[in-house]
Amino acid sequence: MNKNLNKFDNKDFAATLVSKVLVLDESVEHQDAIKQFCEDNNLIALKVRKNRLMSVLQTNIDLGAILYSENYGGSTKENVEIALKIHAFRPELPIIIRRENEATLDGLSEIISPAFCAAYSASDMGTLRQLIDEYIFSLVYPNALLRGILEVTETVLASQFRELTISWDTPFIVRDRVIFGEVFSLIPLVSNWCRGYMMLQTEEEPILDVLGLFNRPYVDSNFRAVNSLLGEITNLIWGSFKNRYIGDVAASFGSQVQVPLVVNHKHKYISFGTENPQLCFLYTLVDEKSGQTVKLYQRFIFNLSWSPEDFKEIIHDVEAFVDSGELELF
Amino acid sequence: MAEILVVDDSSLVRDEVAAFLTRSGLDVVTAVDGKDGLSKIQGDSNIKLVISDVNMPNMDGLTMVEKIRGELGKKQINIIMLTTESNPSMKERGKAAGINGWIVKPFKGEAVLESIKKLAV
Repeated sequence: MNKNLNKFDNKDFAATLVSKVLVLDESVEHQDAIKQFCEDNNLIALKVRKNRLMSVLQTNIDLGAILYSENYGGSTKENVEIALKIHAFRPELPIIIRRENEATLDGLSEIISPAFCAAYSASDMGTLRQLIDEYIFSLVYPNALLRGILEVTETVLASQFRELTISWDTPFIVRDRVIFGEVFSLIPLVSNWCRGYMMLQTEEEPILDVLGLFNRPYVDSNFRAVNSLLGEITNLIWGSFKNRYIGDVAASFGSQVQVPLVVNHKHKYISFGTENPQLCFLYTLVDEKSGQTVKLYQRFIFNLSWSPEDFKEIIHDVEAFVDSGELELF
Repeated sequence: MAEILVVDDSSLVRDEVAAFLTRSGLDVVTAVDGKDGLSKIQGDSNIKLVISDVNMPNMDGLTMVEKIRGELGKKQINIIMLTTESNPSMKERGKAAGINGWIVKPFKGEAVLESIKKLAV
């Protein structure tokens, strides 16, 4: 059962991109300003108590940045230690520091300065706006693409999980490189307007649990069933994406540039060889009777090329169009 | 002896289609890619229908079809592609290779049974 597909019928549907930022700023004077700034700039602010910081970083793996204050922590020493610890733990996350007097990193000690990518001051939030654009919303994604990805993916998930209710979060931008769950798929996307990958990440156990609810005797109840299902979902989404946005162009597109992808299993970390932010969608599938839930992260990493000005949807000949699942005889 | 060959690198699709056809009273064998599909056809002269994916490792579905019609000379076997592809140029290549039909995934059992009926398998 699908509760969200009717949203795409609305021609005014606009997928607003957001990003989650961890706000480590205890200033009472600036609390409202930061809150308002986040609301005005499509940022979802996460706040955390100091003693839960590292555990929150471990569980929140889809962040866009960290907004830090030079007064955070009980002392200067603690401020430095926390910043260095976060940077060592998650070096891919941009940490933007709020300073009292100047919007630069000048004057910071050589020890702490490398932890930050940039600085702003509360008296000039325009600088923070520029930094958010530079470090988080640096790539423009056509609204039609965002809408199309949601539509295509939700259709595929509904076909594979007919018994489940599907919902999705607002698409968001991520700088994190941590892998969610235990199993992920990767498939290249190649066209004249993009080159990169689509990645799906999920957890094994919840999928095995929901598969156990369905009457599919031909499906094994082990990790191979999860592999196969995730593989087919990836294939179906890729196929629809290709039919809609790539077509024949890939065959004639000549670039042979490649970069190595690196997966570190120990740290559940994957690198695509670029600092570019990633476009992320989160789908939640629920069995209403048992309450069992499956989470599926879908990421688009356009690490090799990105030209949104060349993006367009392929117009198919309506007369020749045959619905999916229907037979076309020749 | 088997009558229908299902070729797909996805075990989920292979097993789902095979289970559906078997419940419909049909004999089925499966193959994991185009190369395996060719081998199964060479070893079983009772295969009357092939249902195959396009995008597969080792040998893709359309190359397999070209070899079935060409090298193996099997003109009488009916071939339906069951694939994510709906690209017109892919379909044209399939038609030129001698396929009989095309179904865009996801799989619907009724469409496959319809193909079997129409092709008088």
